[in-house]
Amino acid sequence: MRSSVGIGFVVAVLVAAAGFLIVPPLILGAPLEPVMGFVQKIFYVHVPGATMLFLSTFAAAGGSIAFLFKGSEAGDRVAAAAAELGVLFGACTLVTGPLWGRKAWGVWWQWDARLTSSLLLFLMLIAYMLARRYGGPAGRKLSAALALFAAVDVPLVYKSVDIWRTVHPKTTVVPSLDPRMRPAFWSSFLLITILWGVLLALRVRLERQRALVAALRLDTDDLLEAGR
Amino acid sequence: MKRATNILRALVAAAWVLALTSGTALAQEFQRVEGAARQEVPAGQFVGLAYGFIWVAVLVYVFFVARGLARTDKEIAELRRKVDEATRR
Repeated sequence: MRSSVGIGFVVAVLVAAAGFLIVPPLILGAPLEPVMGFVQKIFYVHVPGATMLFLSTFAAAGGSIAFLFKGSEAGDRVAAAAAELGVLFGACTLVTGPLWGRKAWGVWWQWDARLTSSLLLFLMLIAYMLARRYGGPAGRKLSAALALFAAVDVPLVYKSVDIWRTVHPKTTVVPSLDPRMRPAFWSSFLLITILWGVLLALRVRLERQRALVAALRLDTDDLLEAGR
Repeated sequence: MKRATNILRALVAAAWVLALTSGTALAQEFQRVEGAARQEVPAGQFVGLAYGFIWVAVLVYVFFVARGLARTDKEIAELRRKVDEATRR
């Protein structure tokens, strides 16, 4: 059991090391955006971070569907792990976005469709975690239902910039990206996706071990009771 | 009746004051100022904060997950030992 934790850590450390070695030079070497200048470099982590928020929400919803309709405990564990990662990457998106916006727009925050719907998605994932932790016996089912609602919000967040008039850049930014900026963007995207996968695997393992501890505690109690 | 008239007069007066002040606001023009200090926001600090936040958040998260895994590993070993002892008896 301990060796498997070690492998997870080795992978996480290797990914982080690769990130520090390969991606920053590519990001620094990418050409400056003519209007925004150096602050546009936040784009290389902001967009992958937001994508991981979407991916986490879909993974949480997928796991929740398996749990709600098939009673899959593994699905529930994936959902719990993914929702937590959604909060992590949601926080990263909601912190890096205003830092970029302060320089590019002159304000930290705008109550426009993209920003507000992203905040709602983040709050829904926090609600998932709260319902799971404090919802009592029905907490897991309640949180699974919340994950489904959160997944419905994802396409709305993504398309909000095309449907409503917002200050946020549109979805055409990535497809029309300058070819000299693409290596930096896609390497950062790949790195953050790998990091997300490693973190998800580690977090699912933790959920599995917690379930094992609970089962072993019951066994121990039963055996000790029978011994008396 | 007289009281109602006074209230009505006060309301009309308030409406006039509001209309006049908003009119003044609308009448204002943007004035060109020479040599005004331009607000410069340092981009480097924002980029550094954004990247720093992400790495710190991920590292803190990894630390908590690792701590949880180490703790459950210990508990599992302890509980297995107890189960083995109990079954031997």
